[in-house]
Amino acid sequence: MNVKRTWSVMEITLLQLIRRRITLVLLLVIPSLFFWVVDFTTSKRVTPFKLATVSEETYVEVPARDESLVFIGVAAVGFLASFLGLNLVQKNAGVHRRMVLAGYRSWEIFTALFAVLFFTVGLLALYVGLALHLFFTPQNLIGTLLGIFSAGIVYGSYGILSGVLIRGELEGMLLIVLLANIDAGWLQNPLFYDGAQHQEFIRYLPAWFPSQVTLTAAFTSHSFVKSFGFSVLYGLGLLLLGLLLYIYKMRIFK
Amino acid sequence: MSIVLEVEHISRSFGRQKILADASFTVDTGQLIGITGENGSGKSTLLKIVTGMLKPDSGSIIRPVSMGYCPQEVLLFEQLTVLEHFKCWARGYGMKPEHWQERMEVLLQQFQFKQHLHKLVEHLSGGTKQKLNLALALLHQPDLLVLDEPYNGFDWETYLRFWSYAEAIVAAGQSILVVSHFINDQQRFDHILHLQNGLLS
Repeated sequence: MNVKRTWSVMEITLLQLIRRRITLVLLLVIPSLFFWVVDFTTSKRVTPFKLATVSEETYVEVPARDESLVFIGVAAVGFLASFLGLNLVQKNAGVHRRMVLAGYRSWEIFTALFAVLFFTVGLLALYVGLALHLFFTPQNLIGTLLGIFSAGIVYGSYGILSGVLIRGELEGMLLIVLLANIDAGWLQNPLFYDGAQHQEFIRYLPAWFPSQVTLTAAFTSHSFVKSFGFSVLYGLGLLLLGLLLYIYKMRIFK
Repeated sequence: MSIVLEVEHISRSFGRQKILADASFTVDTGQLIGITGENGSGKSTLLKIVTGMLKPDSGSIIRPVSMGYCPQEVLLFEQLTVLEHFKCWARGYGMKPEHWQERMEVLLQQFQFKQHLHKLVEHLSGGTKQKLNLALALLHQPDLLVLDEPYNGFDWETYLRFWSYAEAIVAAGQSILVVSHFINDQQRFDHILHLQNGLLS
């Protein structure tokens, strides 16, 4: 891998992202709006729920509003990261192919795109985590930030994979909405999970480990390291699959 | 003269539709070869196979080490400037800064769009976008230029400038394979490859 070429793609990708000011504004506005809606509509009544990765017996008792804020924070970053990943790969796919003809390697482009996603999700997670901190104090702020960040990485990788698989913009968005809505936006809510049937199905979904990391760190003093490790592995798995398909799609025949 | 590109018995189908059937030709150094044919006759498919973007179902190709490709559609980053495009492509081609900057100046002068150097592509006219689309393929002075209707959207003056530049680089030993619809271009070509129903003549 040529570092200069990879850096060059990172540079131009970041430049393009920065120049899309409305996108940047929306990245900041959407999570705030989600938090405001939750804060405005959810009661502060204490609602017990179980955290499966901590214990199947112990109930965590926190105000429903706080639980919903954490849940929606994870979902917001997951949604945004997946759309960003999709857009990074899909929007300029033709130009990227042309760059491969000009001498760039497809894995250099892919690495650069992921690096931009990683950086942006990092900033987004920091922003969402700190915004969450305005509403209540998580037990472990760093862990909460890591959980939100891992949700962004897992769903960002899913977005990248969708972008590699699907050529059409609308189709890609629908593919993301299909999974992110059901998984990050619904099934991973511990209030739902507690009484759900076929819980093992929910545990295989992408937002499972990141949600567990975030909720564990926000509301308990238990370790979230194992869940975080699985989050990273899940994200890496999606990313590796995306990379292999990307190399296949961008290949030039000699 | 030596052979720059050798295409032998290339065939390609999409589903049941045969786009190219047993196409063979060669391009020598310093040759200007035109490809003509009706819409959908397989011209772009042939160029994509020549550049390596598409795999032929059968046949073989011997390509030069260095090629420049100008696609039919404008493939540029809307949120980058003209200068940033040159810089990015130069890095891909492995050009040294002083070399690509010198080449960029030549191309900006030749196609007269220096005044747009610091503008974002999204703010350029269609014709200027096409100038940049073409200039990126010419930047590294490749052995073979593969151009798919490179003057779409050009005004008459730029069109003539393109041809004077093309003839100059062909005289200097570069080769060009170009798709053209214009009947008056045909007198400029050393050879014409006409595609009809997938057959090359």
